[in-house]
Amino acid sequence: MQNDHRSDEAHVIQLPAPTAWPMILALGVSLILAGMVTHLVVGLLGLVLTVAGGLGWFFQVLPHEAHESVAVRTEEVQIVSRRTLSEREALAVTHRKILPVETFHITTGIKGGIAGGIAMTIPAALFSILRYHSIWYAMNLLAAGGFISWAGASDAFLSEFHLQGFLAALAIHGLTSLLVGLLYGAMLPMFPRYPILTAGFISPLLFTGILHSALNILSPILNQRIDWFWFVLSQIAFGLVCGFVVNLQVKVRTPQFQALPFAIRAGIHSDLTERTYDEARHSDERDSPK
Amino acid sequence: MSETAVIPHSPTEVWKLPSRGIVAMACLILAESAIFIIFVVAYVFYIGKSVSGPTPREVLELPIFSSICLLSSSLTVHFAVSALHDSKRGMCSLWLGLTVLLGGIFLAATAREWYQLIYHDGLTIKTNLFGTTYYSLVGLHATHVVVGLFMLSLALLFSLRGGLTSNHTERLEVLSLYWHFVDAVWIVVFLVVYVLGR
Amino acid sequence: MATQTPVTAILDKTPASPPRRLLFQVLHDWLTTLDHKKIGLMYIVYALIFLVIGGLEAVLMRIQLAIPNNHFVSPETFNRLFTMHGTTMVFFVGMPILFGFGNYLIPLMIGARDMAFPRLNAFSFWISAFGGTLLYFSYVGGSGLYGAGSAPDVGWFAYAPLTAHVFSPGHSTDYWTLAVLLSGVGTVGTAVNIVATTLCMRCPGMKLSRMPLLVWLYLITSFMVFVTISPLTAAQIMLMLDRYVGSHFFDTQAGGSAVLWMHFFWIFGHPEVYILVLPAFAFANEIIPVFSRKAIFGYPAMAAASVCIGFISLSVWAHHMFTVGMGPGANTFFTLSTMIISVPTGIKIFNWLATLWGGKIQFTTAMLFAIGFLFQFLIAGLTGIMLSVSPFNWQLSASYFVIAHFHYVLVGAILFMIFSAFYYWYPKITGRMLNERLGKWHFWLFLIGFHLTFDFMHIPGLLGMPRRVYTYEADRGWMMWNMIVSSGAIVQTAGTLLFVFNMVRSYFKGAIAGADPWDAWTLEWSTTSPPPEYNFAVTPSVASRRPLWDLKHPEDPDGNYE
Repeated sequence: MQNDHRSDEAHVIQLPAPTAWPMILALGVSLILAGMVTHLVVGLLGLVLTVAGGLGWFFQVLPHEAHESVAVRTEEVQIVSRRTLSEREALAVTHRKILPVETFHITTGIKGGIAGGIAMTIPAALFSILRYHSIWYAMNLLAAGGFISWAGASDAFLSEFHLQGFLAALAIHGLTSLLVGLLYGAMLPMFPRYPILTAGFISPLLFTGILHSALNILSPILNQRIDWFWFVLSQIAFGLVCGFVVNLQVKVRTPQFQALPFAIRAGIHSDLTERTYDEARHSDERDSPK
Repeated sequence: MSETAVIPHSPTEVWKLPSRGIVAMACLILAESAIFIIFVVAYVFYIGKSVSGPTPREVLELPIFSSICLLSSSLTVHFAVSALHDSKRGMCSLWLGLTVLLGGIFLAATAREWYQLIYHDGLTIKTNLFGTTYYSLVGLHATHVVVGLFMLSLALLFSLRGGLTSNHTERLEVLSLYWHFVDAVWIVVFLVVYVLGR
Repeated sequence: MATQTPVTAILDKTPASPPRRLLFQVLHDWLTTLDHKKIGLMYIVYALIFLVIGGLEAVLMRIQLAIPNNHFVSPETFNRLFTMHGTTMVFFVGMPILFGFGNYLIPLMIGARDMAFPRLNAFSFWISAFGGTLLYFSYVGGSGLYGAGSAPDVGWFAYAPLTAHVFSPGHSTDYWTLAVLLSGVGTVGTAVNIVATTLCMRCPGMKLSRMPLLVWLYLITSFMVFVTISPLTAAQIMLMLDRYVGSHFFDTQAGGSAVLWMHFFWIFGHPEVYILVLPAFAFANEIIPVFSRKAIFGYPAMAAASVCIGFISLSVWAHHMFTVGMGPGANTFFTLSTMIISVPTGIKIFNWLATLWGGKIQFTTAMLFAIGFLFQFLIAGLTGIMLSVSPFNWQLSASYFVIAHFHYVLVGAILFMIFSAFYYWYPKITGRMLNERLGKWHFWLFLIGFHLTFDFMHIPGLLGMPRRVYTYEADRGWMMWNMIVSSGAIVQTAGTLLFVFNMVRSYFKGAIAGADPWDAWTLEWSTTSPPPEYNFAVTPSVASRRPLWDLKHPEDPDGNYE
């Protein structure tokens, strides 16, 4: 540290004057309560102290707050940090990790979820018609998880249309689709390489794997009658459509974008990662003051 | 680097912060509301659960006049603050006096009601659950009215002695906030005890 | 490469006033002080005294339970021990120590000279302190006239109808009620002060979005105090009316409801856990970034998650009451709301991990405790999710499993973070560093003791050992586990004694700290250690979340990234 330039300055800071009245008021209130468990006299003493403390406090604040002044001398200095910038390994343009510069807007995930959810019903309906000759079978099967009384229902029962089943299935399917859609919106920017593979195949297979082991607890009836082949098929339909819709949307810039060097923001350099080691090093030397 | 404070460059924009008195009163009101909510919940929970009489329908009468007095005192205290803001100190004293008077009428009416209940209808806090919850809820509110009246009387005293100037507007406003809160609580208590409870 | 450009700064040249020598003068200074730092210190010291008392009570209980059929203390004494231990630790250790740190740090962190209401601050401290004194006076005064028992013995949640006059004659329960009432008044006073200070006393440039996360979390904690401590105050007033005037709030004979007390108590009781843990999070938010040498990850998410926790915590209280029989609707609701609260908590844990990730971590004692906190809080949260499932809860409610779970939160998370805060801010408070070597010993001893005690405490719970049991038969299979648990308590005691020794020794012999020993970034490190009465000679002004970073690195100010 080096002091180049001195300018002494004295000024006064006002601080509240010390006072014991708040403590006396607190003691008074405590003694009043203590009087309830000990003796009336203690309570009376408390009352006296409370009144005294209240009055004392009052005259501390009104008509003017009691102050005491503290004189302070300050000095304006030019300082330079002892720290010197060490030559850093210029791995990137800035030494700070800049977290996603662009990402999807939150509504993107919702749109994807809705689209995927609709797409998923097609293989499910196909399965119902081919196997049980009723379009409602898959729907009722999904809804059955919510109704304990449906646990032992027959195939014929499940092939009919039930309004409550329809509503329950709509709620379960809709909510799950939305949530998974939001997850897609959040996760796809993290795997930019093969979005179709990630969204359409890897995620559905992983999800199916998790469900396969957990379905017995979540919905035993679904577990008994599920056809995993068709299930995977509808999952993939969801993943492909949802991923497609999400990727179709325009990305928005996060606040981190502001921190990027102008060249990148202006679009001269397309991406951070494309810059070479040398380039980054040059720019560092240029930016830092000698 | 030791002993250095952060660079005090002059802030370009005007740095404006809320008044601490009003913030503190808002916090206090929040805390007090929570207390009242618990007492109201207890009241509602015990409606009709008393194992012996008297019941609210038998003994309670709608305190219309005193409620109007209390609620209109909210207006008068507001006028007192605006009068002080415009440095009309005489008007401020007048409005403050009116507020204290209206609050006093309410308190007197409550006292009369309690007297009636205790000595004519034989309802005390020990009688039944209705007595327990009624006296504690209305009593809690009345305690707040007493505190408010005490503060307002102090303000009136200062105002009459000429000690209250437009510099004190903010303090009087904080006090009026408390008084508005007391009035608002009365609306809830009125609805719960005299409308819903009967 | 090059050094930095010089920046203008202000140097405080005020000569230090000579310290007072006479005991009476010193005492007068402390009794009449309105300085937020001194009041904060008094809070901390007072809490530490009660920590020692509450800890001793715990040790006595563990000795009693170490072997079967033990009669080390009498059953009546045992009841008083667990009641006083719980009440002391929650109301007279947890709250005051956290408010003490808050009092000390908040004005320093937002660049203010003092709290918004210095007199109210002193009043709040003293009334809490007298409340604690009143509680312990019951050991002497409780039996006075009636000969019916001394200290409160109704458990820290004092379920009705045990608190009725018939079952708790004499004044022991009244002592509990009044002491808690007094501490509640003090708590609400301090919370009002904290909110008013953070909203109205910030230095220029310190927008809400630039406040240190510690201040954010204290703000949320204070708001929670208003809506949780007040219901407790209301319930205590009802209990007092029942006991003194003869009303029937919790009197089942007259149609009153004992379950209503449970609801009222836990409406306070569960958010209270979050009131205690949020300041611990607050310490972690300051300490983890400094020793990872990185800015906190996800500042807005952290603030938002804390607000979420604040709100959700108000709707989970009845998970303490699954065994009461509330019906499937209420059970489902409280199971789900309890599970949902793990989402914002999870966000916080991930953000801390992301702050550590890629950082240049310095394993100081403060950081060690913070990392211990991170993992232990995770485990505590996981057993919490287990207990939130109502069928599981029916099996294990009021067993030692529950005790182990919440002590994992209170000790494993909160106490660890409090220790961490001591190691981090002790240099600021006293001007001297705590000894790191002793600190490491303290950490490892305490960590081992903690895991011995509270990991193994889960097992007797699973084997059916109920909480608050005075003693047990040898053939239950709990013997070995209780022995391990009790021996762990001894190791923890040893660790704590080492900590006390370290604090005392370092006060006189510790290395001089200087203003900024950790190379930290928040405003409190820009003033001298210990800070002068007026905190800052010139009111600072800030332009980012890490004002000292900006000062140290003018070429790369933080404001660009926010």
